[in-house]
Amino acid sequence: MADEPQTPGYTSEDLQHLSDREHVRERFGMYIGDNTLRGLHHLVYEVVDNSIDECMANYAKRVSVIVNADGSVTVEDDGRGIPVERHAQLSEEMDREVSTLEGVMTVLKFGGKFQKGAYQTSGGLHGVGVTVVNFLSEWCEVEVSRDGHVWQQEYQRGEPTDPVRKIGTTTRAGTKTTFKPDPQIFPNTKFSWDVLSRRLQELAFLNSGVRIAFADVASKQQEEFHYDRGIVEFVEWLNRSSDAVHADVISIQGENEGVSWDIAMQYTGEFTENLHSYVNNISTTEGGTHVSGFRSALTRSLNAYGKKTGIYKDLVPTGEDVREGLTVVISVRVPHPQFEGQTKTKLGNGEVEGIINSAIGDFLGKYLEENPKSAKSIVQKGVLAAEARAAAQKAKALLRERKGALSGGGLPGKLRDCTSRDVARCELYLVEGDSAGGSAEGGRRREYQAILPLRGKIINAYKSREDKVLANEEVRSMISAIGAGIGDEADLGKRRYDKIVIMTDADVDGSHIRTLLLTFFYRQMYRLVAEGHVYVAQPPLFRVRSKKSVYYVQTEEEMKTQLLDQGLGEGVFYPGDGREISGEEMQKLCRTLSGLEDALLALERRGVSLRDHAERRDPQSGKLPMFHVYYGADERWFTSRKELESFVKGKEKSAGGELAIGRADENQPGSAQPSGASPGTAETGDAQLVVVDLHEVRSINAGLAELTGMGFDIQSLLPQDRTGSEDSRYTLRRGENEIGLDDLRGLLSAVRRAGEKGLTITRFKGLGEMNAEELRDTTLDPSARTLLRVTMTDAAAADDLFRVLMGEKVEPRREFIERHALDVTNLDI
Amino acid sequence: MPYCPVCSGSVDLLATRTLPFCCERCRLIDLGRWLDEAYSVPEIKRSADEELEVESQEPEDIG
Repeated sequence: MADEPQTPGYTSEDLQHLSDREHVRERFGMYIGDNTLRGLHHLVYEVVDNSIDECMANYAKRVSVIVNADGSVTVEDDGRGIPVERHAQLSEEMDREVSTLEGVMTVLKFGGKFQKGAYQTSGGLHGVGVTVVNFLSEWCEVEVSRDGHVWQQEYQRGEPTDPVRKIGTTTRAGTKTTFKPDPQIFPNTKFSWDVLSRRLQELAFLNSGVRIAFADVASKQQEEFHYDRGIVEFVEWLNRSSDAVHADVISIQGENEGVSWDIAMQYTGEFTENLHSYVNNISTTEGGTHVSGFRSALTRSLNAYGKKTGIYKDLVPTGEDVREGLTVVISVRVPHPQFEGQTKTKLGNGEVEGIINSAIGDFLGKYLEENPKSAKSIVQKGVLAAEARAAAQKAKALLRERKGALSGGGLPGKLRDCTSRDVARCELYLVEGDSAGGSAEGGRRREYQAILPLRGKIINAYKSREDKVLANEEVRSMISAIGAGIGDEADLGKRRYDKIVIMTDADVDGSHIRTLLLTFFYRQMYRLVAEGHVYVAQPPLFRVRSKKSVYYVQTEEEMKTQLLDQGLGEGVFYPGDGREISGEEMQKLCRTLSGLEDALLALERRGVSLRDHAERRDPQSGKLPMFHVYYGADERWFTSRKELESFVKGKEKSAGGELAIGRADENQPGSAQPSGASPGTAETGDAQLVVVDLHEVRSINAGLAELTGMGFDIQSLLPQDRTGSEDSRYTLRRGENEIGLDDLRGLLSAVRRAGEKGLTITRFKGLGEMNAEELRDTTLDPSARTLLRVTMTDAAAADDLFRVLMGEKVEPRREFIERHALDVTNLDI
Repeated sequence: MPYCPVCSGSVDLLATRTLPFCCERCRLIDLGRWLDEAYSVPEIKRSADEELEVESQEPEDIG
């Protein structure tokens, strides 16, 4: 037993009782974290927190913080002032007369914050606040104004140099603390203006109404922070240089089971979340139960709304998605906060999570219902974020695939490449349709013309409407055939062709595909368009065969004009009033009729017959009405906007305010009946004003005026009942041939038919109807073809048009198309 | 001021490197939509009228 181990030299000498002061100075880490700049600034916060507590308890209005020239800091408030009278408990313990003030400054765990009554929820950490600051200062001085007197005490490294003294009288109240951090503790004792300023501003935001003045004597800088709207202003300040998604900052305040919350939030166009959370004014950078409660309520509420309103389609945004662009300040007050985590900045109180979660959930559910406009923008923002996430994955996959394709030489299977590798000469034709692709392959210059057939894929997009998309495979084929890449990795130098030529049918459908392709290039291969490598081919619409030659005509208008010119020839027109119209006069008449033709067709396509419309002519001016107006049961026609306006004014007068505007149901052409519900009645006050603008009537009126000048009126355009008469109303004579006409409108087609004499005209229904030879002679052969180089303006216009045309899956723009379906010709580019 | 095809935010023509988009992210979203076949244009079926028009274009002697 003699070998019993003994701890060598371990005696009572080794154990010491550290005083509060010694403990704080040796283990400062336990109190202020560390002795770096972070710990240094913490000293100021501890003192300021006490003053803020006085403000929050409504005893103080103003806090001032001054960094003095010697590096000391003075914090002053206009609160009640720390009590100075003798403290019984302390005096007894220390066996001398001790002032409460001295206790506050020199005894740990001594303070008003342990009794719930004095401060409801205090920010000062565990009541160690100002005592610790005193212990870690080279010197410290505190001055209390209270009950008409000023009291003062000084300390050296935490030890009072004298008892608390009364030094004079005053009418003011408050506490003023000056301290100089001890260089024995802090290697660097220089305060940073920016760090202090930021925290003081934060405190002013968190405690609305508090006025905090801050000055640095040495640098002569000063600032004052004061925010009556608190963290709402905090959010506005954080978002000062971002575009807000919704105008209002959402503010949520409340209290339950002793926990109170003040939350302000707003979405911006940014892509990150900007969250600041606080518990009892302490910044909780690691988050905690208050933050998780808020986040789950936010995700739940937005997702419920997105699903209910149908804004969510295929993608459901994650919590991270719905927080993208969110700026939020969460400030909670908890009676007994528990802090966890590495830096003790994570709230651990479990009960807080549920309280915040249900309160925020209730609030947001209601807010979204009541603010549909903001709600929609917010929810759509989350959808975009989800889309971005998915898109980034797809783009990465595409990039990998392309890299693989480059090394493996894998060009798309459908590509009929050219043989030359001289990029400057090479051309890629993007051809709509497989059959046209076949003809193009046959007619191309194999050496430097490559063909990539593309097929629009038909999908059922919306109700009865069918849509065309560019299949995923086609998009990828184009990217890899062109070889210049897209986006970030784009490199025009790697393009495999100098000209990319879009070749689609010369009809409306073809123009839609062209719009789709141009939009794709404009958006994803911007440089390719900007540097003029994209072209549009001009395939002909008609083949004209005469005895001597074959030629091609590109547009309907051109064809009509040609036929008209040829048909006019020696023709003479007899209007039945003894006149003979020929030569220049005849030409003029035909031109006028030609201008009228499209407008009249447009009118008739609405279901409005010219005969009926002629009855509505203004008897004085002879003009046809161009506004069709419904108001309740009232149906009117107006020939000018002025008349329309005076009608509306009259109705406004009797309705006592502005009129509700209804939308015309344009699915039924020609009817200005309001869509959906009944138009309402003026009597019940729910009448809607519906105005249909018959744009084409402007051209008709202009044409009619010209006709009048040539001795014809509107009746000449309408067939007449001529029962009993053998003779035609009008006659066109051309050489030996005579044609009888019922009305003037028939003149044009009669002249054109005359022009067709001796010609065989074929209209190509699509590129596929042309054989390889025809395609070569008209569209492929560089010496015969016309290529239009696509300018940035063209491409941007295509993009604009595309936004209007594109499918509902992305944006519901159907309305526009349906509204403009009548003048679909205007949509062609 | 042009606006971004995806987010409708304004686009600075001089400073933006991802034209016509405001940023790379919006360009990616757009690419994702092309690859997803989410962009479509209406398919216009040739109407009976037009067929008739074509017929009438056949040569025909008058008189």
